[in-house]
Amino acid sequence: MDNTLITILLSAGILLVIAVLMALILGWANIAFHVPTDPKVAAVNEILPGANCGGCGFVGCSEYAEAVANGKAAATLCGPGGQDAANRIAETLGLDLGQTWPFKAVVHCSAKREQRLKQTPYFGEQSCAAANLVPGIQGCVYGCLGYGDCQDVCEYGAIDMVDGLAIIDVDKCTGCRACEKACPRGIITMIPFKTEEVLVVTCSNKDKGVLVKDVCTVGCIGCSACTKPADGLIEMVNDLPVVNYDKDSSGIDLHKSIEKCPRESLMFIGLHKDKKKAQGEPERIEANFATTVDQTEWRG
Amino acid sequence: MDTIVSLFLIFIGAALINNFVLHYFVGICPFIGVSRRVDLAFGMGCAVTFVIGIAATLSWTLTFYILRPEAPLSAWLWNSMGADPTTVVDLSILSYIAYIFVIASSVQFVEMYVKKFFPSLHRSFGVFLPLISTNCAILFACLEIMKNLQGGDQLWGLHHALALSLGGGVGFTIAIVIMAGLREELELCDVPKALKGPGIALLVAGILAMAFMGFTGVDRGVADAIRTLTQH
Repeated sequence: MDNTLITILLSAGILLVIAVLMALILGWANIAFHVPTDPKVAAVNEILPGANCGGCGFVGCSEYAEAVANGKAAATLCGPGGQDAANRIAETLGLDLGQTWPFKAVVHCSAKREQRLKQTPYFGEQSCAAANLVPGIQGCVYGCLGYGDCQDVCEYGAIDMVDGLAIIDVDKCTGCRACEKACPRGIITMIPFKTEEVLVVTCSNKDKGVLVKDVCTVGCIGCSACTKPADGLIEMVNDLPVVNYDKDSSGIDLHKSIEKCPRESLMFIGLHKDKKKAQGEPERIEANFATTVDQTEWRG
Repeated sequence: MDTIVSLFLIFIGAALINNFVLHYFVGICPFIGVSRRVDLAFGMGCAVTFVIGIAATLSWTLTFYILRPEAPLSAWLWNSMGADPTTVVDLSILSYIAYIFVIASSVQFVEMYVKKFFPSLHRSFGVFLPLISTNCAILFACLEIMKNLQGGDQLWGLHHALALSLGGGVGFTIAIVIMAGLREELELCDVPKALKGPGIALLVAGILAMAFMGFTGVDRGVADAIRTLTQH
């Protein structure tokens, strides 16, 4: 036979033998090393969004799926999956969920940059975690610092920094709790949105009213005026009103509480802002690059 | 004695002087992708060292008996098929495809084995093990071994191949752990927006590579020192 032909035959033959050998070994290993997995875990894993955000308190979606399937965790912990995922998990595992609500993040501070007292000029690292270490960075030791650590960790673009204050878009918020962990002052918490609009206390200052007035123009002074019309729904704890979200709020006109507040420490935060905006949305203004480019801040 | 010295030199050469990542720039994808935290980077380094050792053993066997010029098994087949015996049989052209076969299937095999017998290790390796099957550092180690089996007086034995692969694995681990440490610090720096993430990581890797150039010539010095010691 010709040398070239033999080389081709030899190459093809050897590759074929290697391939068949490897296939046999892998096929045998697949059977010999088979690990029986619970089909329930796989089914739950299929339902979860796979974002591995860690909001449920487990390392990743697969760990959570295992815990849920074994009955070690509740089916409602997945923030990004929300109500839909919880329902489907409950259906798959035959659980009874009861009534559940979506949890969303809210900021318990409403003071914009010019509404709160600044004490020390700060030129350090532009992050809340670093700024929070500086004594006297801000008059209010409880409120929002405005460097946007929560905005940086939000993977869903739900947080905007407006005039030095974090504003959360609850429609975009999935309840993954990343911002709650990132905030060094702990003023972001998760609350259940049982209705489209939820009453939120937007101040975290636990000091007496006189001290609060020194450092902030909108903070809660602890006058407890909001508690009377709320019929037991709001209680004063450490000079701050606390809304009891477990109680049924139907039949109580919470607008009265907001009207009674002499400051701006209570407000409604609502879902589906987009729908409301669509009714009277202003026209889009085109950007004028002649004015914007020169003002670009370069932080190189 | 000479064997031990040469093994030591191959090991040091692969780990420090000709570091796979910082000298040859192979295995950059896990080097950039899994170097955000030191503990994960160390896990990746260990996984690569493990797989590189297995792949080197298998590919040395394959190369020595079948793929190199004048390999015994293919020479016997060559002659028994009635080819011209004066021509030297050389199946080196098959090396790439054969190595990819071997690496991919050995990684699969190792993953199944670890999943069955070491579930906790499997959980901590996580997605890294399957990722390694496409890691060019491992293919590079196989090709380096093949280069030293092409002919000449000194054909590499299995021990040389193992020294190279373990050295390469250790070198990869050193590089990725240093990189992870640097990147943990980088998180706190004010990096220009355009360079954030992999951009600044690649710049840092380049400077790190220049630092590793300082190891050039260390192998010869070490060899001389060992020879002088053994002579006395």
